[in-house]
Amino acid sequence: MSDPGIVSARELTRRYGEGEVAVDALSDVSVAFTKARFAAIMGPSGSGKSTLMHILAGLDRPTSGTVTLDGVELASLDDRALTLLRRERVGFIFQTFNLLPILDARENILLPLSIAGASVDGAWFDELIDAVGIRDRLHHRPAQLSGGQQQRVAVARALVSRPAVVFADEPTGNLDSAASGEVLDLLRLAVDRFGQTVVMVTHDAQAASHADRLVVLGDGRIVRDGEALDAGGVLDLMKSLSR
Amino acid sequence: MTAVVVRGFFSRKLRAVLTGIAVALGVALMSGTYILTDTIDHSFAAIFATGEQNRAVVITPHQGLGAGAAVQTAAIGQATLERVRRVPGVAVAAGEVFAVATLFDAQGRRLNTSAPSFAVSVLPARFEDLSAVAGSLPTNAGSVAIDQASAQRASLRVGQRLRVAGATAAATYRISGILRFAGSASFGGAGVALVTLPQAQLLAGEPNSYDDLVVGAKSGVSPATLRKRIRAVLPLTLDVRTGVQQAAQQTSDLESQLGFLRTFLLIFAYVALFVGAFIIFNTFSITVAQRTREFGLLRTLGATRGQVVRSVVAEGAMLGFGGALVGLLAGLGLAPALDQLFKAFGADLPDSGTVVEFRTIWVSLLAGTGVTVLAGLLPALRAARVTPIAAMREGVPLERAQRSPRGRRIILAVVAFYVVVRVALLASSGAGIATIVILLALILAIRVPASRRRIGGAFSATVVALAHLLARPLAWRGITGRLARDNTVRHPGRTAVTAASLMVGLALVSLISILAAGTKASINQAIDASFAGNLIIQNSSTAGNAGIPTEIPAALRAIPGVAQVTPVAFTEGSVNHLKGNQTITALDPASFARVYRIDWDRGSDATLAALGTTGTVLNRSFASAHHLKVGQTLTVAAASGRRIRLVVRGIATDNARLLADLTITLALARSAFAQRVDALDFVSYRPGVTNAQVQPKVNRILAARFPQAESQTATQFKNSLASQVDTLLALIYVLLALSVIVSLFGIVNTLVLSIFERTRELGMLRAIGTSRRQIRQMIRYESVITALIGGLLGIALGVVVALILAATALSGSGFVLVIPVVTVIVLFILAGLAGLAAAAWPARRAARVDILAAIATE
Repeated sequence: MSDPGIVSARELTRRYGEGEVAVDALSDVSVAFTKARFAAIMGPSGSGKSTLMHILAGLDRPTSGTVTLDGVELASLDDRALTLLRRERVGFIFQTFNLLPILDARENILLPLSIAGASVDGAWFDELIDAVGIRDRLHHRPAQLSGGQQQRVAVARALVSRPAVVFADEPTGNLDSAASGEVLDLLRLAVDRFGQTVVMVTHDAQAASHADRLVVLGDGRIVRDGEALDAGGVLDLMKSLSR
Repeated sequence: MTAVVVRGFFSRKLRAVLTGIAVALGVALMSGTYILTDTIDHSFAAIFATGEQNRAVVITPHQGLGAGAAVQTAAIGQATLERVRRVPGVAVAAGEVFAVATLFDAQGRRLNTSAPSFAVSVLPARFEDLSAVAGSLPTNAGSVAIDQASAQRASLRVGQRLRVAGATAAATYRISGILRFAGSASFGGAGVALVTLPQAQLLAGEPNSYDDLVVGAKSGVSPATLRKRIRAVLPLTLDVRTGVQQAAQQTSDLESQLGFLRTFLLIFAYVALFVGAFIIFNTFSITVAQRTREFGLLRTLGATRGQVVRSVVAEGAMLGFGGALVGLLAGLGLAPALDQLFKAFGADLPDSGTVVEFRTIWVSLLAGTGVTVLAGLLPALRAARVTPIAAMREGVPLERAQRSPRGRRIILAVVAFYVVVRVALLASSGAGIATIVILLALILAIRVPASRRRIGGAFSATVVALAHLLARPLAWRGITGRLARDNTVRHPGRTAVTAASLMVGLALVSLISILAAGTKASINQAIDASFAGNLIIQNSSTAGNAGIPTEIPAALRAIPGVAQVTPVAFTEGSVNHLKGNQTITALDPASFARVYRIDWDRGSDATLAALGTTGTVLNRSFASAHHLKVGQTLTVAAASGRRIRLVVRGIATDNARLLADLTITLALARSAFAQRVDALDFVSYRPGVTNAQVQPKVNRILAARFPQAESQTATQFKNSLASQVDTLLALIYVLLALSVIVSLFGIVNTLVLSIFERTRELGMLRAIGTSRRQIRQMIRYESVITALIGGLLGIALGVVVALILAATALSGSGFVLVIPVVTVIVLFILAGLAGLAAAAWPARRAARVDILAAIATE
């Protein structure tokens, strides 16, 4: 591991509770994600994959260990600095889209910029919405969009501030397979064309097969870290691990 | 971010409207109060300014006790007028009489029952500002001119008869003209009978005397110069002002009297705003909880805590400003309604036009916006504690801040302190204690959602226990009743705050009703204990401190069967420079003790007989409050500024408060305090004489010569006092009703919000076969349970505060604590009905929930 990566964690442990009832959601996890690559994190329920993502994104703090994001040591930041870091360098995509129902698609996409009080780069915005393919839906409210369209708006929102890394939490969990495919293609495109770094937590073998790299967690430890597999390979791997 | 706030605000229109109303109602009462009092103020100011414009200098008796003092001032004698006429530069000087009077038509009916009337003398043409719109001003002893408003009310025309009774026997005049004042039909609501100067002096009982002198300057002499010259030759018991100064003085006197009315009404506006604050707090708390994921998302996307707080506060500010604006406009409509309300309760306040001062606008907007922002602050701070993770998954609870809420406590303490100080300043000490107790209870309530563990836990537990208790009768309704109860206790904090808003209003209503019942009982007990006579004579109108003529006792003593007639008068003075004025009772020492049993602490009836013009008897509560003892000498300043020294000769307990702070002889009151009319006459009969033999004769004499007076037996007197208490009580009820209405909007709001929250659950209930009817019932029961909790707590709180008051502030005053059981039960039932009414619309809304859509809601 000579490349420190755009996001890296060293010896992360996250413990819930104290004394005899203490549970380690993560124990001694070290991992680094390379710039402009698409990584998938998998693992059974309770394996610690969501906890890992929350800590990497600065949403939760580890019991011990360090996280470095785009060269910044997260442990040294207070809440306000963490907030500013998220604002400028992190994008999020959620399972349940999480668009504000009161804003239309365009306003939802621009929300991170308006929170920051930053101005819109018109050329980048045009390029982005063409890539996402929702130009004709810009003035629709979320309720008027399909699930796939909503998630594509959410992807655009994650990309609009050109963050150092985009974290996607089960981005296809609420979508049918066609819509899932579109969203995953879009993430792939973000990595390939825009040089975006994407870290995705998923249950879905099909989704994982779109990534460059597959990290698998089990019982709070990394049990596999390597090249991505096709969907069949992922399924076989998961079966072998659960045995 | 601004877009989020603005859109969010408008996307929750219904909530905004319901919460806005809560603010608007309180603000409406506030702005209505200002508009009404400003309008009255300006109406009078216009009259005063017109009245004084032709007068270079005005001379009035000095009144050193403040505009609010109920005292007569000394009349100005003829010699003073002659002295003024000799001052160089005086062109004309004339005396004017302006005396409280009562007007009757030819059939003996009073023209004006709710406002005072005056007998006024005609001035020389140079000064006269009254003009006749019909007929002419009176020129001979037999004629009178009356104000247009009174004439219209009684359908009187020129040529008809008018009876006028002042400080002496009544006289009858022929109407020669109808008057207008500075463009208005009445003298600010009061009736005016304009007669010739000698007639006015006769009616006022002041031959060769005047209430004020008006002076016209020779050309080339300025009012200021003339004032200086006249000032130099007159004693300090007279005030000398230029016409302009006089108008300003009259206006400022009026303002200080209106200040009482304004404060009285503003207290109710504050109460309504306070109740509104609860509703705002509750609404914001609920919506913040419902928007957890939204705040989490904003935080994830990089919004700082500050930005989240500001977005909620901005929403509160918009809401408050909108509500306040609506309230301000509603105040325009409310001001005349308040005026009508006072008319209905017997106080005719004059107003012409509508005066909206800039102060009314900014105070209303600031109060409405400020209350909303403050009440929304705690929920806003809670919104900031939402962690970004809350956006990730459903059901992540709000982080309970460990580094506990010092900031919140400080804010709460500051707000509470401000309110306490503010209200305590407004109200008297007794009411102040009540306010503090109510506030403590409220702080307890408001802390519920904040910390369930400590005191709040106890309050929540009380709410839960009450809900179970009150829902017991619903058991037979089966599952609907069960669900209603469980929904009530699902968020005990929310139910507690909703109930608390109703509790405030009901606590005040029950407290006031207990105090009123107690006051009536105390009056009855005190009169029964002290009054040993048979009849009480007093003016039939309480408006304008109208007294009764001093000739009445002599006239009544001539009636066979009458043993004693003893007059009593009231005045005020300033004792030993104590704060404010002290009330003084003046009585006839020879006869008083025969019709009134005095409960002596020190002294005896003999003390009274020997009082003379140098002694005084103190009321025990006054004596003990200021540590005054028998034998001490007091310095008492009369309104004229004259000081007399009185030795304390005795101390008496008098729960009827007929014996005021000080008691002196009538002779002293007449000589040193310029007291020329009496307040009451007590009449006692000879043994063996029945009321039927005497009272009709008394009434005949009164009707023939003193129509302004009426006789009452002790029972009639008690009833008339009770009805005065009831009138005030009804007025306060009406004003408090506004707060109760505000809290009903709170119940509606809470119901609507929790129904919204439970859309899925309601859909599920409908899906498994609950009928719309059952859903409606469930919501109604929920509302009724909440309302009854508020009612029960409010009534309990009112009773507790009354008990505390009776044991502290009112102890030793002879206050009889009476719990008006029927009123209390009615209040409780009304609270339940109010809950039912509040549920009507939310229940329909809940029943309309579309099953499929509800279940599909993500």
